[in-house]
Amino acid sequence: MKGKKNRYEWMIALRFLIKGKGQTLLIVLGIAVGVAVQFFLSSLIGGLQLSLIDNTVGSAPHINILPADRIAKPLSESGANSDSRKVFYEERTEIYSWQQYVNDLKRDSRILYAAPTANGSGFIERGVSVVPVFVKGLTAADGLAIYKIKEKFVAGIPELASDSALLGKGIADRLTLAIGDKFYLRNNKGDQVFLRVGGIFDLGAAAGNELVVIAMDMVRNFFAIGGVSVIEVQVKDVFAAEEIAREYGRKYERVKLESWQEKNRELLTALRSQSASSDTIQFFVLVSISLGIASVLAIAAVQKQRQLGILKAMGTTNRSASKIFVIQGFLLGSVGSVLGVALGLLLAYAFLAGTGVVFGFEINTRTLLTPIVLALLASIFASTIPARRAAKLSPIEVIRNG
Amino acid sequence: MADIILKTSRLNKTYFGKVDTPVLFDIDIQIVRGSFTALIGPSGSGKSTLLNCLGLLDPQTSGEIDFDGKLISAQNVNELAAFRNAHIGFIFQFHYLLPEYTAYENILLPCWIRGGKPSPETGNEALRIMERIGIEKLKNRYISELSGGQQQRVSIARALINKPKLIFADEPTGNLDRESGRAVLDLMAELNRENSISMVMVTHDREVALRADYIYELVDGKLCKYLDVSRLGKTAAAEAIEDRTCMIDTIE
Repeated sequence: MKGKKNRYEWMIALRFLIKGKGQTLLIVLGIAVGVAVQFFLSSLIGGLQLSLIDNTVGSAPHINILPADRIAKPLSESGANSDSRKVFYEERTEIYSWQQYVNDLKRDSRILYAAPTANGSGFIERGVSVVPVFVKGLTAADGLAIYKIKEKFVAGIPELASDSALLGKGIADRLTLAIGDKFYLRNNKGDQVFLRVGGIFDLGAAAGNELVVIAMDMVRNFFAIGGVSVIEVQVKDVFAAEEIAREYGRKYERVKLESWQEKNRELLTALRSQSASSDTIQFFVLVSISLGIASVLAIAAVQKQRQLGILKAMGTTNRSASKIFVIQGFLLGSVGSVLGVALGLLLAYAFLAGTGVVFGFEINTRTLLTPIVLALLASIFASTIPARRAAKLSPIEVIRNG
Repeated sequence: MADIILKTSRLNKTYFGKVDTPVLFDIDIQIVRGSFTALIGPSGSGKSTLLNCLGLLDPQTSGEIDFDGKLISAQNVNELAAFRNAHIGFIFQFHYLLPEYTAYENILLPCWIRGGKPSPETGNEALRIMERIGIEKLKNRYISELSGGQQQRVSIARALINKPKLIFADEPTGNLDRESGRAVLDLMAELNRENSISMVMVTHDREVALRADYIYELVDGKLCKYLDVSRLGKTAAAEAIEDRTCMIDTIE
């Protein structure tokens, strides 16, 4: 009896589906629409979130290592007794042993870049206009890499020379500075240096485009910084930044670590609630798919009761009878979900073309396979209801009732 | 002693529900191998129920069924299903064919259930049976496109395909007009003779019953008469059927 594998249940399941054309088509469409909505939603929101995160931290440090405390402390309680002329800056305003920190950080494989940075505020003077600017002193390798300055270059050469500066597009436009133009950069003490525009970059964000980037050592000299202002760190996994920051925070006692997550709590909360609402919608879409399949297959089980009784009289076992319905669930689920993802892709491209939004969809194996696998599981699960009914049916019920 | 293919001992059947309904009482019958046996009785006498019990479709409440020397009534549902598939063919009053399949495919369904996709030889065997029964031209027709007589012939072909030892038929002509009914009966009698397949047929038609080798009559769920038609002769058998008194003692 046994011997070679008997797949007649597949043959019968397939025939039932083909002969019930209208019903099959309806349920496949139902699954497809559900899966399409699910795929569209998850890839849209995934894409939106990726682009938001990329805009926020894609070309910015993920962790800033700052001097221990930059806030001036108030006078002691018994202020009258203390010497009011004494400067109360007991905290350090710079990081002096930055080289040790950088060397230590670079040994960590989770960390992409660790760049010592020196910052200062100054003025650019050109002709009659004087504009306050933020001056960032970067190292050639890691510093430029964190801000992706090479990728976001508009004109010139993305190099840090001793007599030139790289300008954000905003400031360059405002002062109508072009490559090769010269200008004075002045610090708060009135010292000035004559610089050439070596290149212009566009970071996309207003604040970034007001930057003047020069070599770190020049900034240190010009603004009389002994150490560095901050060590900027970029990690491989953006979301691991907080944990990594916490870890190094325990290790480094004399500096303060700040992850991008800490600085962007509101953004993260917004993203998280967006994910939660999208998950909720997707969950209910899944529930409605399952209910749809279950109800259609339950009706099919009643409709096919006669056929099942006949098959059982001819020797179909209870197990095979339920298998026929599980196979139908599987076939409906797989055809419907693959069709659904195709529909979802179409929808996504139509949406992109129609609305011209700037962010892309998150389309990868995860967003493609998750709705398929979920719908398939839901279909098979839903089919167990009619399957159980089919197993229970006794052939004599059908034969006796004619 | 005759060669017995099926034997029951003290077979009882009760339908349980709000009110329990006993239908069969201590039935002891024997089916001779290769014979044509008729089960007769007024409606409600339990003959269809007996047939379904014998055909292992409806489990008896108590008693035993011995099939070819094997105590078959003790097997579980799936074993019974496999046994039905391998050894038993059914023909019912209604055709019980699957509308999703053509005549040819319906005939091959028991083979599918038995061992998956039928071999070309099995396919040829199905064609040979169709030809023998005279329905070879209906091969690719769906069931709804066939007449009642044709549907019943397809049922007969399907009952034959797995070469069963026994065929159970429940009023196979009950739903047919007189002419096609006679043709179907003729066919069954011929097949019985040609292939020496044992047949058990439920009928309320005494004329039909007289074509059988043996007749059992049920009244109110009890065995009332047993007639060996070939020994008694048709006339005596017909008279015995007309006789209202039960003569169950005639069973040897």
